[in-house]
Amino acid sequence: MNQHKQKGIMRILEPVGRNLGLTLFAMFALFPLIWMVICAFKSDAQMYNTVFRFTPTLENFRAVLIGSDYFRAFFQNLLVAGGAVIVTVIAGVPCAYALARYNFRKKEDVAFQILSFKFAPEIMVILPIFLIFQKIGIYDTYLGLIWVYQLITMPLLIWVVRGYFEDISVEVEQAAQLDGYTWYEVFFKTLIPLIKPGLVASALLAFIFAWNSFTFPLILSGSKIQTITITALRYIASDTVHYGQVAVASTIAVLPEVIVALFIQKHLVRGLSFGAVKG
Amino acid sequence: MAQIELQGITKKFGDVTALSDIDLTVRDNEFFVLFGPAGAGKTTLLKTIAGAEFPEQGLVKIDGQIMNHTESKDRNVSMVFENYALYPNLSVYDNIASPMRSKLYKRDEDYIRQSVDKVTNMMKINHLLERKPSQLSNGQRQRVALGRCLVRNPNVFLMDEPLAHLDAKLRHFMRGELKEMQTSINSTTIYVTHDYMEAMSLADRIAVLNHGRIIQTGTAQEMYYTPRNEFVACLFGEPEINILEARRQVNGADVYLTLPGQSVKLLPAEDTAAALREAETDNIHIGMRGNDISFAFEKNGDDWIEGSVYANEPIGNKVIMTVKVGDIKIAVTCPNDTAADMDQTVYIKFNMVNAIYFHGETQEFIIRNNMSRYTKDQQEG
Repeated sequence: MNQHKQKGIMRILEPVGRNLGLTLFAMFALFPLIWMVICAFKSDAQMYNTVFRFTPTLENFRAVLIGSDYFRAFFQNLLVAGGAVIVTVIAGVPCAYALARYNFRKKEDVAFQILSFKFAPEIMVILPIFLIFQKIGIYDTYLGLIWVYQLITMPLLIWVVRGYFEDISVEVEQAAQLDGYTWYEVFFKTLIPLIKPGLVASALLAFIFAWNSFTFPLILSGSKIQTITITALRYIASDTVHYGQVAVASTIAVLPEVIVALFIQKHLVRGLSFGAVKG
Repeated sequence: MAQIELQGITKKFGDVTALSDIDLTVRDNEFFVLFGPAGAGKTTLLKTIAGAEFPEQGLVKIDGQIMNHTESKDRNVSMVFENYALYPNLSVYDNIASPMRSKLYKRDEDYIRQSVDKVTNMMKINHLLERKPSQLSNGQRQRVALGRCLVRNPNVFLMDEPLAHLDAKLRHFMRGELKEMQTSINSTTIYVTHDYMEAMSLADRIAVLNHGRIIQTGTAQEMYYTPRNEFVACLFGEPEINILEARRQVNGADVYLTLPGQSVKLLPAEDTAAALREAETDNIHIGMRGNDISFAFEKNGDDWIEGSVYANEPIGNKVIMTVKVGDIKIAVTCPNDTAADMDQTVYIKFNMVNAIYFHGETQEFIIRNNMSRYTKDQQEG
């Protein structure tokens, strides 16, 4: 009888506990974002002496969006990050295919080499790259940034997509060729749909990494190209820090990532877990 | 509708030789079966013909044309893969329609619908057309793969164990359908299997493969009655043929054989005696099928050998009794009402007329009774 009662209590406590845990985690994860949005509406005067009760103001938005070249930085960032992802997809998918399908000498070494680009801290390689970029004249250009972003975006995509290619049996390709399709038709009509979840998920992650990249554009871009991460820094002046404006810049910078992620949420979870199992 | 010729095909995967010096001609409109144990190279041979694998040496000819450098799509062959190789993103209907939608073998949608209907009705999968391969059982997937192969009208059908995953009843039915279809549309078919009944019932001719080599090529009759060596003999027939190690005794003009530890003289059939006398070894292996052995529970004469019942397995239409004679076990096919106790004494007698003789050391075929009857086809061919 007593045991029965205990079981009944457990049945109530379990979902309560689970939801409580999830709520705590959600607060932990989301609170910085909420805090950022709140800060965006505070004036500099109220920044330090109020918590939740303050007079909302749009002054920060006006200063950032109208008073500075924030939108230029936004679109330049979009261009650089988007360009980097496009290059990664175009070059990385065939590379992943080759690593999955063909046998050549030192194959695993090549694959590991590609992955190892992610090991080195950016700050360690940035100085030599800076010197090289100045020498060959691609400092502060789109080409230079897109190129160097491949270090961030390419390894991830290659490794995820390679796992997907390895999961597709060679016979499927052979069957499609026997059905009368050329290799390119097989690749685009049969293989691409099969790797799509992995491709979409890894491309999105690559985009986020490129979008948020700070070290590379800090050193390798100057006055012509300004990414959003560098622009946000400008509101931290030497005498005062305009936290409100930093908050506005960051809030708007997060928007594209959130929107894209919500759209392809379905692919995201499946895409990253699916290929990784066998990869 | 084409003749397939393979000349000196050698294929290696790294250090492993998958095929070694294969010479093979599959005639126009022939139903040809590749038969052998797992890892013999059957699938590799099919893929070589399909153009999915390229041989290191040798020529692949289809209708006299050398195909070594022709891409598989231009060879006009149709294949069932052992692991089905269905397109996971397409429905059953689209999978089967796929070969008729490529630029090369383009057909209009009406024609496609009719063809798909026809094969799916035959395969009994017409209720599954909208499903994806992941929602099918293995047997159903295999039938979809077979359907995708059969909707076309290619030079040659290549089938890699297409019935292996079907249940027994359906397999039997499909075997009949395949045979019927093959005769009605006059197609060349190369069919891989490791089921000897499938091989014997379907094949016009069979090639037995082992370790990447062709051991023997011939009709099912030839395989069964005049196997080239003990390996081939053991592949065909259930229960497996008994290989008895015997000693040859020559006594003037007479030749007879004895089993170790037994005094019974086994007298070979008259037309085999000469060849046995000429064999360069005294160590002769006798191949004896279970249904050529008589058994009795009483000793009926001096030429009966005593043994004990080791196992007695009823398998429906017959009983397979394993008799232990000395150290050797002999499988005997008995009528299906045979009852026997373990270790019961039993007497067996060999019907030496149907014995097949092998060289004791090389295990090569020496002779059997009435050779000309079983090899008639070969002489004509």
